[in-house]
Amino acid sequence: MSDASPPLPPPARKRSPAAAARSRTGFAFVSPAMLVMALLVVYPLAYGIYISLFRTNLLNRWDFVGLTFFVQSLSDPGFLRSLFITALYAILVVGGHLIVGVALAVVLATQIRMRLLFRAILILPWLFPEVVVALIFRWIFDPIFGLLNHLLRSVGLISTQVAWLDDPTWAFVAVVGAAIWKGYPLVMLLALAGLQSIPRDRYEAAALDGAGRFGQFRYVSLPGLAPILGVAVILEFVWWFKHFTIVWLMTKGGPVDATNVVSIDIYRTAFQSFDFGRASAMAVIVLFICIAFAIAYRRMVPDEQA
Amino acid sequence: MSKPSAAIGGAHPLFYPLLLVACAIVLLPVFWMLSTALKDETELFRDPLLLWPEKPTLAAFRSVFEDYPFAAYIRNSLVVVVCATAISLTFSTLAGYGLSRFRFGGRGAFLAFLLLSQMFPSVMLIIPYFKILKSAGLLDSRLGLIVTYVSFTIPFCTWMMYGYFRSIPVELDEAAAIDGCGSVRTFFTVILPLALPGMVATAVYAFITGWNEYLFALILTNSEEQKTLPVGIGQLIGQYRIEWNELMAASIYSTIPLMVFFLFLQRYLISSLTAGAVKS
Amino acid sequence: MKLSILSTVLLGLGLTVAGHAADEPVTLTVLSSTIVEGPEGKAEQGYADAFMEQHPNVTIEFIGVPANELYAKTNALAISGEMPDVFLNSPEFMAQADDLGIVADMQEVLGADYFDGFAKGPLAQSVVDGEYQFAPWFTIPNTLLYRRDVFEQAGVEPPTDWSEFRKVARELTVDTDGDGQTDRWGFALVGTNNGSGAGRFFLVLRAHGAEELAADGDAWTTGFGTPEAQAAFQLYADVVADGSVPPGPLQTGYGEAVSLIASDKAAMMITGPHTIGAVLDQNPDMAGKLAGALLPTVEGVEPDINLGMFGWAIAADSDQKELAAEYVRFVLERDNQVAWNLATGRLPTRLDALQDPQIARPELAGFIEAAEYGYQVPTARFYPDLFSVAGDNYQAVIIGRKSAAEAAEDAAAQTGRLIDNNR
Repeated sequence: MSDASPPLPPPARKRSPAAAARSRTGFAFVSPAMLVMALLVVYPLAYGIYISLFRTNLLNRWDFVGLTFFVQSLSDPGFLRSLFITALYAILVVGGHLIVGVALAVVLATQIRMRLLFRAILILPWLFPEVVVALIFRWIFDPIFGLLNHLLRSVGLISTQVAWLDDPTWAFVAVVGAAIWKGYPLVMLLALAGLQSIPRDRYEAAALDGAGRFGQFRYVSLPGLAPILGVAVILEFVWWFKHFTIVWLMTKGGPVDATNVVSIDIYRTAFQSFDFGRASAMAVIVLFICIAFAIAYRRMVPDEQA
Repeated sequence: MSKPSAAIGGAHPLFYPLLLVACAIVLLPVFWMLSTALKDETELFRDPLLLWPEKPTLAAFRSVFEDYPFAAYIRNSLVVVVCATAISLTFSTLAGYGLSRFRFGGRGAFLAFLLLSQMFPSVMLIIPYFKILKSAGLLDSRLGLIVTYVSFTIPFCTWMMYGYFRSIPVELDEAAAIDGCGSVRTFFTVILPLALPGMVATAVYAFITGWNEYLFALILTNSEEQKTLPVGIGQLIGQYRIEWNELMAASIYSTIPLMVFFLFLQRYLISSLTAGAVKS
Repeated sequence: MKLSILSTVLLGLGLTVAGHAADEPVTLTVLSSTIVEGPEGKAEQGYADAFMEQHPNVTIEFIGVPANELYAKTNALAISGEMPDVFLNSPEFMAQADDLGIVADMQEVLGADYFDGFAKGPLAQSVVDGEYQFAPWFTIPNTLLYRRDVFEQAGVEPPTDWSEFRKVARELTVDTDGDGQTDRWGFALVGTNNGSGAGRFFLVLRAHGAEELAADGDAWTTGFGTPEAQAAFQLYADVVADGSVPPGPLQTGYGEAVSLIASDKAAMMITGPHTIGAVLDQNPDMAGKLAGALLPTVEGVEPDINLGMFGWAIAADSDQKELAAEYVRFVLERDNQVAWNLATGRLPTRLDALQDPQIARPELAGFIEAAEYGYQVPTARFYPDLFSVAGDNYQAVIIGRKSAAEAAEDAAAQTGRLIDNNR
């Protein structure tokens, strides 16, 4: 087809008027969101990074310290330990969400009787504010007046009152558990939506090929869910890495530092020690970690390109 | 009304026990919340525990409204979150469509930035937000909170809508173009109806995020007339005492609008899914 | 003659103008944490309402924040230039507030004479660099709160030293209904890692003869590394290991400890008189059963009692300093101070109120006595950071993560770093 036409200079950046118009249209669609984000996301981020270079109380003290806080934080075993704890926390919570959410979604996507009732009940945890979830679980874990000890004692599993949240390991388990309880419905909903958009004929084809229920799940459902879950995993990991409320209200980062996730560390530095520069530096480090994770994840689990 | 097309397959008998266990794990804390809310002050701290109050009373439910401006808190939350959800949904749907269908300068950077913006610890964003709202005169106002919540939810909502639009075949756009529709018309008449389930999911996410948000509402509001529900509940956690029964009663109040909202949309979600299936 | 008529007319006009200004609607903003508490909030709103009745053109707007968020909120408001006219200040925060430059010259605004009307102890603690940082409102001397009836029944007296304390705590840990389960423990230890827990630990520390922070000329030093401090950490470990403390001390914050006392699960607690009101709110049967005693100490050491004081500061950039001063003086009036004490148990700071016979109730006697031993909270800007230094370490000792010696050493090192970072 191209033989007959004369050699044209490579139209590297030049676009046809139609393409340029399409580009403008696309821009128009995106501009409201872009504007909001430029004002309300770019500026705060930039400001946060700016602060990290100063020893400041944001009012009358602004001493430039350059990268001092970065160096100090990265060589502080306490901070490094909290990063480790936070990563562990995020991995366990997101993993829990995935397992519970996908499992329940698969079940709810079938012809279960009273499906809607079950679904309504299983959505419930998501509808409670984190404040409430943290406190109700703390109340349940209370050594003397808590429901958990009461139930365990009535069935004879324990004989004395266990102080769950006083024990470093169990406190960690408790905050992970509360977070899984609170957050799995979102993954469940995403998985449900994803499952319901998988064309039925793929399942029929797999069944014809001899795949049983589990095979269908593995070869049809999972791949079908991959795009939507892929995004979900990145965002979930980042959210729960930054998580604050549930851990803060249940254990305040304790006992000692067993559940001291990095957001609590940052909060304390900013709002109890009023050391905003240092807190900002810690936050920037967290930012880079999350970015690194997102990049690494994308390399390992490539998404279908649009 | 039978909706066979929405279900994938038959139910395995093991599913029922699994669901029952899951429901039990979900409902136990909820039950305990209800039980605590119905207790009188003197019944809260008993050993052995009272699984259910001896004298259930609605006193906590009443005192939540009498002793605190809870009506104002609820009103503020409703106004702020509904508006923020509507704005966020609109902007992110438009943006998601634009991202999935068009190439334009800065597209890649914008996409990357959507994710990037999620990664900064919110604890540190409070001060910049405070300064921004102050300069705009929006501190201690519902409008200020609306603006804040919109900025929170747009990145993820745009991602959600982007992902959803990508699953709608471009062929539909091309078919509409052949029929003579311009981009905008294509969007509104052809693509948007198909995107409704995604929009519903996005709206639900935005609503719940806004409804439950605590830290920013706490710092960005001062007066009782502007505080939102989570902040109001948080105030029941005084340093000197936790009013468990009032706290639980307030929590139950805060969950009801969400449940109503979700129930309402749940049906819509199903019917549009059915319609979609029939159409294809 | 004309001149005097003219001046009279002018004077009259001037007065009319001034009169108009006095009638303009005016809003006074007040930042308070007691306003969101149980009995305290109602009382405080009552004073505001009464003041508004007396000044019909004035509206008092409260900014209510839970106590554990007060400092963060004040800071946020200061940074954004949105300071209220009046705000709650305290010895723990006043150095920071002064550093932020948000406190007006209190002596000038309220008048030097006014400060003569305060009790010496509280007043001495409200000073930074020779200037008053707030008008003291109430004190809640933290000392030993105990169940008088339980002590009488067991035939024991409030302990005067720490080994007696351990003994008494052990003795009072009993199984009251014979079901094989302990129902009441000797001591409700507040072991949370925050100001509530650390503040109480500092009292125990000082009662052993060590100070968490002390001024050394221009610099600060810490006593965390001394054998006395180690003994304090050891006491915490021991009293928990004895089983005299209800399970879960690390989660027992102030509110939880109050509930333990109210539900007859603990016989002693380190706290202030306001706890009596909080306990009675939860369990009216406790009326008359609670009393205060001086903290036990080590031989030769006088107790240091934290007055737990809060007071009203007027913002440096307030446009209504006069009106704010009037409001502060109103709240501190004798009748209001007495009423506040009757409603909440918090002790007044004004001399005239302290002399009211209603204040000297038997249940408050121990606390009033303890107030004599009030000590000056170190006015270091970084003082609140010491809470988590103490908290991390006493929690580690309680759960057996560290020995008392290690905890003392670590606390000293961490405090040393804080001192260095803040030179």
